[in-house]
Amino acid sequence: MTRWGIVADLNRCVGCQTCTAACKHANATAPGVQWRKVLDIEAGEFPDVRRSFLPVGCMHCDDAPCLDVCPSTATRKRADGLVTIDYDKCIGCGYCIVACPYQARSKVTQPARAFGGEQMRHEAKREDPARLNVAQKCTFCVDRIDAGLARGEVPGIDAEATPACVNSCIASALHFGDLEDPESNVSRLLAENQSFTMHPELGTGPGIHYLYDRDDNEGSQGDAPIEGDPEMVAEPVGMGGVVPKLQRAWDWRAATNFILGGTGSGLAVAGAVAGAPPVVFAVALLHVALGLFAVWLEIGRPWRFLNVFLHPARSWMSREALAAMPLFAFGGLTVLTGHPAAAALTGVFGMIFLYCRARILQAAKGIPAWRQQGIVGLIAATGLTEGTAALTVLAGLALMGGIAGVAQVPLAALCGALAVLVAVRHAAWRAYRRRLGETGAPVGAFEALDGAALRLTAGHQLVPLALLAAALVVPGATGAALAVSGAALALASGWAFKGVLITRAAFDQGYSLARFPARGAGKPARGVKPGWSLS
Amino acid sequence: MTTLKATSRVPSYCYQCVAGPDLLRVEVTDGVATEVRPNDAAAEVHPAGGKVCVKAFGLIQKTYNPNRIKTPMKRTNPRKGRNEDPGFVPISWDEALDTVAARLNVVREAGLYDGSGFPRVAASFGGGGTPTAYMGTFPAFLSALGAVDMSFGSGQGVKCYHSEHLYGELWHRAFTVSPDTPSAELVISFGANVEASGGVCGIRRHADARARGIKRIQVEPHLSVTGACSADWVPIRPKTDAAFLFAMVHVLVHEIGLDRLDVPFLRDTTSAPYLIAPNGYYLRDPATEKPLIWDATAGRAVPYDTEGADPALIGPFRASGLELGPDEVRWEHEGVSCRTAFDALTEHVGPYTPEWASAICDVPAARIRETAEAFHSHAHIGETVEVGGRTLPFRPVAISLGKTVNNGWGGYECCWARTLMACLVGGLEVPGGTLGTTVRLNRPADNRWSSVVPGRDGFMDYPMNTTKKGEWTTQGKSRHAHQALIPLAANSPWSQALGPTHLAWMMQKEGFDKLPKPTPPDVWFVYRTNPAISFWDTAAVSDAMANFPFTVAFAYTHDETNWTADILLPECTDLEGMQLIRIGGSKYVEQFWDHTGFALREPASEPQGEARDFSWISTELARRTGLLEEYNSAINRGAAGVRLKGKDWDFSLEADKVHSVEEIWDASCRAASAEVTDGAETRGLDWFREHGFRTKPFDRLRWYLYPAMVDQGLRFELPYQERLLRIGKELGARLHEAGITWWDRQLKEYEPMPHWQDLPKLWEDALEAGFGVDVGDYPFWLLTARSMQYSWGGNAGLQMIHEVAKNIAGHGGVVMNPQAARKLGLKEGDLVEVASPVGTTRGAVVLRHGIRPDTLLMLGQFDHWKTPYAKDLHMPSMNALMPMLLDLTDATGSGADLVKVKVTPLGVDA
Repeated sequence: MTRWGIVADLNRCVGCQTCTAACKHANATAPGVQWRKVLDIEAGEFPDVRRSFLPVGCMHCDDAPCLDVCPSTATRKRADGLVTIDYDKCIGCGYCIVACPYQARSKVTQPARAFGGEQMRHEAKREDPARLNVAQKCTFCVDRIDAGLARGEVPGIDAEATPACVNSCIASALHFGDLEDPESNVSRLLAENQSFTMHPELGTGPGIHYLYDRDDNEGSQGDAPIEGDPEMVAEPVGMGGVVPKLQRAWDWRAATNFILGGTGSGLAVAGAVAGAPPVVFAVALLHVALGLFAVWLEIGRPWRFLNVFLHPARSWMSREALAAMPLFAFGGLTVLTGHPAAAALTGVFGMIFLYCRARILQAAKGIPAWRQQGIVGLIAATGLTEGTAALTVLAGLALMGGIAGVAQVPLAALCGALAVLVAVRHAAWRAYRRRLGETGAPVGAFEALDGAALRLTAGHQLVPLALLAAALVVPGATGAALAVSGAALALASGWAFKGVLITRAAFDQGYSLARFPARGAGKPARGVKPGWSLS
Repeated sequence: MTTLKATSRVPSYCYQCVAGPDLLRVEVTDGVATEVRPNDAAAEVHPAGGKVCVKAFGLIQKTYNPNRIKTPMKRTNPRKGRNEDPGFVPISWDEALDTVAARLNVVREAGLYDGSGFPRVAASFGGGGTPTAYMGTFPAFLSALGAVDMSFGSGQGVKCYHSEHLYGELWHRAFTVSPDTPSAELVISFGANVEASGGVCGIRRHADARARGIKRIQVEPHLSVTGACSADWVPIRPKTDAAFLFAMVHVLVHEIGLDRLDVPFLRDTTSAPYLIAPNGYYLRDPATEKPLIWDATAGRAVPYDTEGADPALIGPFRASGLELGPDEVRWEHEGVSCRTAFDALTEHVGPYTPEWASAICDVPAARIRETAEAFHSHAHIGETVEVGGRTLPFRPVAISLGKTVNNGWGGYECCWARTLMACLVGGLEVPGGTLGTTVRLNRPADNRWSSVVPGRDGFMDYPMNTTKKGEWTTQGKSRHAHQALIPLAANSPWSQALGPTHLAWMMQKEGFDKLPKPTPPDVWFVYRTNPAISFWDTAAVSDAMANFPFTVAFAYTHDETNWTADILLPECTDLEGMQLIRIGGSKYVEQFWDHTGFALREPASEPQGEARDFSWISTELARRTGLLEEYNSAINRGAAGVRLKGKDWDFSLEADKVHSVEEIWDASCRAASAEVTDGAETRGLDWFREHGFRTKPFDRLRWYLYPAMVDQGLRFELPYQERLLRIGKELGARLHEAGITWWDRQLKEYEPMPHWQDLPKLWEDALEAGFGVDVGDYPFWLLTARSMQYSWGGNAGLQMIHEVAKNIAGHGGVVMNPQAARKLGLKEGDLVEVASPVGTTRGAVVLRHGIRPDTLLMLGQFDHWKTPYAKDLHMPSMNALMPMLLDLTDATGSGADLVKVKVTPLGVDA
């Protein structure tokens, strides 16, 4: 078997960006889009400072998160390890963009115009409409590899068969070859040098390896400790290109989907449990539908939306889409017939839908605030809480309006259940937040989560709990009003949390340097993870 | 024009900076240049495997940039100045060329020189001579014109390695100096930013060296990309490098001691054993006037080249002889005590201990001492290595100097100490050591070995501008008076452009007493240079050029310099024009090849708009000025890069005919082919179009000057500068005889061995004296550093270059240490105004720990106000902050990019 990969010798790299520019030429990427680039990383305090350059791009991972999440199967992995994108199949949902922990993917919506106005001649000549509004990334110059192999050439050895970045490298820092072949150029380099990969804790198996020291470097025998994880630096300076950034692939439309879809599916579950009338299910389906419509507005190729169903084997987005089918079918049947079995099945598929949605976030490995294990329970608890809150609001309003029978269970029971769910949601939040603090996360994620106006903390959640408790003891319309207030607040808390989670806490992974390389006779040093902190 | 195939790979080169050329291929599809690639076929002959610098990848955008000037234009507003819209309107090529030719004819009729004795025609080209790789046959046209003043610089003297150019050429034919990186074990780099300025060859050589474990110690106030790639960083206080270097000399001479230095090298290959007579000049043999050494075996003074002599390095000795002072002053000495030059050195550096330097440099004495000791221990004194069949000393240690270290005041000190350090361990011009790369002031300029010509006293000859009474004159042929003021600037075709070029601009503002009345040139040609941005005190430079009556700019886009032009001529840019250039051998920076030959730049794109090939423009100008015969003759003589007639071949152009661009280069290709193959081949343009380049081997032995010196029995003129002492005295006498006293400070630099002067204070005093400020109000040193993506490229208006350059921290901002920022209440991204006594600039704060708290850094110079795209980037520039002062001009006529500034917060940058 062949596994193509790059070995980047950090002792050699000078950050010149020739590979960045050569890639832009070879692949005609749009202004501002860099399938690969070289980062400028600094650590320490004057006068004890280290600076290094780090070439990054698509890692063509062994276990590529982008591949798992892609709902359309546009992203594939070849037998030789190359992760590819079928531009004609991609729906432009951006899921792979948030799933990639190496920030390797992007989406371009406008034809290239470096200076605005008309396209320049070379821009027009090389414009590829198929690449608009879909995901794009480094291909390892797959066309050059394939054409070279067809000619009997060896990628990484023969220039024409070698990725443009590697072939352009003026420092001979970049090497390309077959990682599976122990005799290959890259394998020999890995055997003779100390190396690391980026974000190994994520288990992605990157195809880019970084050399940081020679096995025979006598200068490495220093006192400075180099072992250990890269040091998190919460407030790095001068590293705007390195620190985690807020993801832009999923905006308010995606957040709306998470908010309405969560509430809608939770309402379907709550309605089924509570024996709600068909109108409640209609409201639930309307929420889910509006959410999906919002996200449909966001995808780059909306009329390819049916491709979302093509990857149920691994993509939680495909699974969610599939779960939505029976959810709407049984939900619609419930609305039309009010049949309890239909309602029950609506609840079941609402729960499945909700679970899928939670797993969608968790599978987005590129966003530390999303991929935390506790996110599944938290999103599920939030959805159920919101659904129950919505039902409680409806029931309370109905009671206040003199309409009985929104649910077969009394309002007090709804309030009680909701109170329990609010508590469960809070517990899930605490667990999630604690784990996030233990693993560390981008500083901006902590700031967004902890700085939101309405949060899932005990302090904030005591208010709805108090209102719900009051509703239990206060009779009549006043009690109903208290119930509505408490439920509305619980609902708003969930919405606010998800809005923050999707749009404000969604900092990407950023980059880290596991070791500062030995430069010549110098010594390597412990690496750095800028823009991250614990707790 | 060339017919382009549907899809092809066109050979070309990138020579946008002195670290080139890089050989490349341009992918062309349906006549559109789409992709720049390395020329893989050059991998065998090119020192960096045929790779291409990042700047070359901007060439396609450069070609199709919508902001280009695509038709000839003329100015309609006769008033000039930054606030005067020139009112450019398109005109035909006929009108443009006729207008220029008519003007030139008027000028020629009036005489080549004006009333002040200056050429009426002036020309300015940027990029350290690299524009000649793009201007086709224009040098032949300038040659046909007869007299052209090149003294209006675009950065030379201020932005170049000026002191190194002059002293380097004097001492070891080293217009630029480089470590022998492929063999070196230790390089101590004082601000030499080779990873940004070394081009693909430099970067590859250093990367290879790092891979085998070289130790590079980077001594500089901020952690540059080169510092990042070094084993150690020593954050020295700005402009104190000379003290560090002096202390290293002290350690070698006083602590390590002569016995452990390279005594044979010092004894036989330097002037260390020369005897110094009481007045500071060499003691000489009265009969031959040769300097004397003390023959330890014979126990008497003998001429330095006495066969079998055993020169003593340590004296003093009592001897008799002749001492020759300035202006033929002669002293006869009988039995006087004479020190050797090495004695003088020992005494001279006695006070310069590491402890002394520590306080000046803000570097621990132990670190200075360790560095010096490492230099000595890695020198492998006594070892030899075989190169090209000869056994040479092997000394794998070198010191490199960067800009602001090797130019301006202090440049002499640093260059002297660096070259001397090499001599002390026998590491000058030998494998592993400190090498020159090319010659520009000595002749012939394409061959270092051939420029090794014996002069007086056992040293190489040097083409000094005369300081002799009766010969010296203020009536030079340049507006910066390099012949009158700078003996070391020499008299080669390069000397004018190297000049003290800021003096030409300064004199336009206010003439210097007793020099000819400053005049603007009647016609000024400008190409690939933008001194209104790239010089010191850009406001003053802009004002000066606004007074030039007729400026012809070969114009790519509108910019801040051609804003004052009268005629704009759109020439074919890099990928549109055709030219053949020399490649290989040893050239600037770290261009050391094992091959030499020629490379073709074949058009990869049809010219945009009405742009025309530079050689077509030159031919048309020659025809319209009636200079066709002189022009063609100049081409035949080699003005376009290769002599068309050789020993067994003759491809000369008929002198009285107009030749097409292709005919000219076909003849050049054939002559080049014949030259490379010694007449065996005469390949024409078609062959070069297909293959791109033709080379022959270049003997690596020629990287080193040592063999040529030894073969001629010559010595390096170190450590003692008797010749400089003499010409300094003579120059002073001439100037004073002419009533010129404003150059007195510069005269003090002519010391036989430089003393430490408080360089930071020199700058501070100059600011206080020049502007009446309290320098305490300006707490920061402002420095600049080279950007590999931008420097020399004239590419500030290219989006792609801006995009990729931004990946490297500091571009577009004011780099500042967080400790310093905290004191000012500043944080990342805050907008600040940086002010010197002469000007202000604005930019966003970029915080980096890798910079001294007393230092600020601005990468590049970017305060464009007219260049499209660049003007909208709002990036800071230190150029507007740099005072153009005589006080800050050293004896070589150079300044340094260094100024004291203050920072004022302006609020958060939106």
